Amino acid sequence: MSTLTLQNVSYKYEGSERLVIRDVSLSFEPGNVYTIIGKSGAGKSTLLNLLAGLDVATTGHIVYDGVSLAEINRNHYRARKAGIIFQGFNLLTNATALDNILLSMHISGVKGINKKTRALELLEKVGISPEKANRKILKLSGGEQQRIGMARALAHNPELIVADEPTGNLDEDTANRVLEVFASLAHEEGKCVIIVTHSKEVIAIADEIWSVDEGVFRPVPVNEG
Amino acid sequence: MYILINAMKNLLRNKGRNILIATVTLAIIISTVVTLTIGNASSKIIEDTRLRIGSKVNIAIDLQEHGRSGKMEMPEVGIDDFFSYAQSDYLSKSILSAQLYLYSATTFAVDDDSKAQGIWESNDGTGEARKAGTMILIGNSDPDTLTDFSVDGGRKILPGGRMYSGLDECIISSDLAELNGISVGDTISARSVFEPVKNFDLVVVGIYSDETAAYPGPAYEEAKFFVFNRHNEVITSFETVMSKGFETDEGIQINAEYYLKNPDDISKFEAEVRAKGLPDDYSVSINQKELDGITGPLKSMAGITSTFMAVILILGAIVLVLLAFIAVRERQYEVGVLRAMGMEKAKIAVGILSEAVIISLMCLIIGLGIGSVASQPIADSILSSQVEVAAEKTKANSENLQFLVMSGKTELVNGLNGYTPVSEIQVALDAHTVIQITLIALALAGLSGVIGIAVITRYEPLKILRERN
Repeated sequence: MSTLTLQNVSYKYEGSERLVIRDVSLSFEPGNVYTIIGKSGAGKSTLLNLLAGLDVATTGHIVYDGVSLAEINRNHYRARKAGIIFQGFNLLTNATALDNILLSMHISGVKGINKKTRALELLEKVGISPEKANRKILKLSGGEQQRIGMARALAHNPELIVADEPTGNLDEDTANRVLEVFASLAHEEGKCVIIVTHSKEVIAIADEIWSVDEGVFRPVPVNEG
Repeated sequence: MYILINAMKNLLRNKGRNILIATVTLAIIISTVVTLTIGNASSKIIEDTRLRIGSKVNIAIDLQEHGRSGKMEMPEVGIDDFFSYAQSDYLSKSILSAQLYLYSATTFAVDDDSKAQGIWESNDGTGEARKAGTMILIGNSDPDTLTDFSVDGGRKILPGGRMYSGLDECIISSDLAELNGISVGDTISARSVFEPVKNFDLVVVGIYSDETAAYPGPAYEEAKFFVFNRHNEVITSFETVMSKGFETDEGIQINAEYYLKNPDDISKFEAEVRAKGLPDDYSVSINQKELDGITGPLKSMAGITSTFMAVILILGAIVLVLLAFIAVRERQYEVGVLRAMGMEKAKIAVGILSEAVIISLMCLIIGLGIGSVASQPIADSILSSQVEVAAEKTKANSENLQFLVMSGKTELVNGLNGYTPVSEIQVALDAHTVIQITLIALALAGLSGVIGIAVITRYEPLKILRERN
């Protein structure tokens, strides 16, 4: 059963007549890494926002677990089902890295585990030391913030992970480490990972690649990506 | 719970903004504590005074009204009428007293050197000689209201005697007792001057020492107008006097004091006594002049503090609103992040409100401490200046001032007429004031919190984040 299905989804911004997404029908399966590639302004991030439940399709349906996102509590969906990694990080800048993760866990209603231990494990997994975990976000580099955003997205163990340029601020070694995490999440833990990217390294771990141009999505053979 | 914990952490994360808000809030709360504490203490004294003084009803001849009526004779209110008025449900108590002149063939009056038992005689139609009064019989319905017996330097029942209680019992001064060799248990026989057929045989149950002035003035004392000598008073119960069946035109003077349960009922009480036949020549009023004289400075002080509090609250609220708007932009991003993480609007609102409430409660605790310490000297200072203003006004209006200092007790200081304003006030935080201030603090918290919430939660998270990014 698909994790997420797009049924004839189109989208245009409020007050605009131009369709940014045009009649897209796709299925995202668990256990796979999907990458979406395309030029800037092609509609990649818009699609990601729709998948993350941050926006609603103008026409068509995005179906999760058999129900359209337009009909469910999207706060609940974002808090418990989807893990979102933003290109601009979107972290609480005055709070520490650890507090960002813990707050995400609280919002998601994570129970039955030691939250602080779990948060530190996640940060360690993306290469953030316990010492840096207690620093305020503003005192960390862009790459570190990027990884904290990733750890936060994984804090509630979501079934779906959507990421917008997750390696854009990372050095090669760290990027490879992060990509290993994504691959592991999909292939070992059975998560559905959808990544918007320009990076060839990211495309290299993809099980399926989609190219978008003028809002139209086309599959790209993996070996051509 | 995590919302509250996050709210507390947020207070430390945004120190600059929160210190600014806390400073304004603290200033408002301290001012409010001071003004409310003073205002409430003033209001309590004003209300107590109103109930104490404002409840006493004056029924008196209104000379202006009487003059307008064109009647030659003064209208009289019958004894039965006084009793009838006393039955009103609006009254908490009534004090009735009667006064008449006595003469006695066996008891001499103090300072009556002639021992003549009356200076003049005339035939009053009863076949008996009519004598001038030598003593004054006073009948009072409530011994507790005989104020001379409750103050130092007044009257005091000597050991072996007691206050009158039953019918035909009386008390007399030690001077009168010594002059006539009267002891407790003896009987005084006397008659009414104007109604000689009304005889009194009064058993002396108490003899009192009397340190009050014997005469109303030096001229009376020099002339030894002994009928005005207070040491010649024979004090008995109102029932004893009235048991002889007096009418108002039989040389008896009736005084009635009525006390309202609620001074606001004066109009209703007046309507009732008018319906019972009180002539229009009589006015029915509470002693507003005395009330105003005593509570005037307090009212002025309460007015000053109320105005000050209103100004502080309005200005403070405006500043808090401005600070809330300034904080909105910063918080807008924070709200966008929280919403993107899936936090419900309501929980975000509770978080923002919690921060405002925590700040207000911290300021409340500090403000209550500082405000309660500052209240007393500020109250003393304001009241002192208001008393001076009142004194100057009164001095301009009258030469004779009666100063009455109230600080839980009442004492005469000086003067003949007029009323001394309250010049001391004990202000202290009470539960009522604390509740009021707490509500104001919470209202301030609500004000600063709600504006932020209203502005921030209008937007969808994507819009907020898109604008930021």
